[in-house]
Amino acid sequence: MNDIFYKLTVSHFLILAAVVFAIGTVGVLMRRNALIVMMSIELMLNAANLTVLAFARYHGGAAGLEGHALAFIVIAVAAAEAAVGLAIVVALFRTRHHADIDRLTLLKH
Amino acid sequence: MRETVGAADRAAGRAEPGHGEAKPSEGFENGRGAAFLFWLLALTTVGGSLFVITRRNLIAAVMGMVGTFFALAALYAMLYAHFLAVIQVLVYAGAIMVLFVFVVMILNRPEDEPWALQGLLGKALAGLAILYLLVRISGVLWSVKDLPHAVVAGPRPHGDAPIAAGVLEVPGQRPPRDDDWGSTRSVGKALFREYLFPFEAVSLVLLVAVVGGIALSRPQHREDPDEAAASQDNGPGAKA
Repeated sequence: MNDIFYKLTVSHFLILAAVVFAIGTVGVLMRRNALIVMMSIELMLNAANLTVLAFARYHGGAAGLEGHALAFIVIAVAAAEAAVGLAIVVALFRTRHHADIDRLTLLKH
Repeated sequence: MRETVGAADRAAGRAEPGHGEAKPSEGFENGRGAAFLFWLLALTTVGGSLFVITRRNLIAAVMGMVGTFFALAALYAMLYAHFLAVIQVLVYAGAIMVLFVFVVMILNRPEDEPWALQGLLGKALAGLAILYLLVRISGVLWSVKDLPHAVVAGPRPHGDAPIAAGVLEVPGQRPPRDDDWGSTRSVGKALFREYLFPFEAVSLVLLVAVVGGIALSRPQHREDPDEAAASQDNGPGAKA
């Protein structure tokens, strides 16, 4: 039983990533503010990155380093997503004066 | 070209005898300090994430996000992803969160959204469902440890960089210092050799994102028919 606490395995990191991903999912589904939803998406991306890096460490060697490259590219794509998403939020505020995603039903038919 | 094989391949080659002589049943022993650090960082990460999704104040949520990202960067460092830990702090805690703070400050709206579900029954059901899912997922993920090479934070089989020495080291056992798995040098080699095309494609993605962000946030004109339609559900103030 003490092994679970003292001996770190890849499972520790995987479960932590799963929990963070679940929290991000709950944030996306529950919150109505578009900015909080975007932050929850960032949380989910980070959880995925943690999974990738845990498996990279687990595998080791050159293939593990390719996991690092993948995580780097994920970070870059997340930055692009944040830029475009925040621009959308700003444009929404300019036209609607709110960012409540429950009230944005123009495409909901 | 002699270095094309690189540190990573040397590390892979060296990893085999290292794993062979360590008994898989015992695994590698990491220090108590590493375990304590992991649990501390895991607590910070999960607590910060919960903080983010429960705040009404947007600035508080952003600050919780920054703390979460720092803890995640430290976890990356525990996984010998030193370069990515630095990138995480620079890009996420630095650039992306500053962008969020900018937008929050520009919009400057008090959040009036209540954080509540309707009904106690729904809460109880949702909690049970989440608990069940977490237990099942944890069971699946925990079974990964039965595979060989499962212990993460021990004397690393793939070389060492001296960051976090003393925490992740076993006292009295010197890891090899000539390898740099996870460092900027080795990740850069992977990025600019095998992953050169995705790397360049990401630059295109970033360019498109910059152009799209500018195009989206530019002030638009009222004679746009889409926007006239969109402003109709704005309330009585809008033109019907």
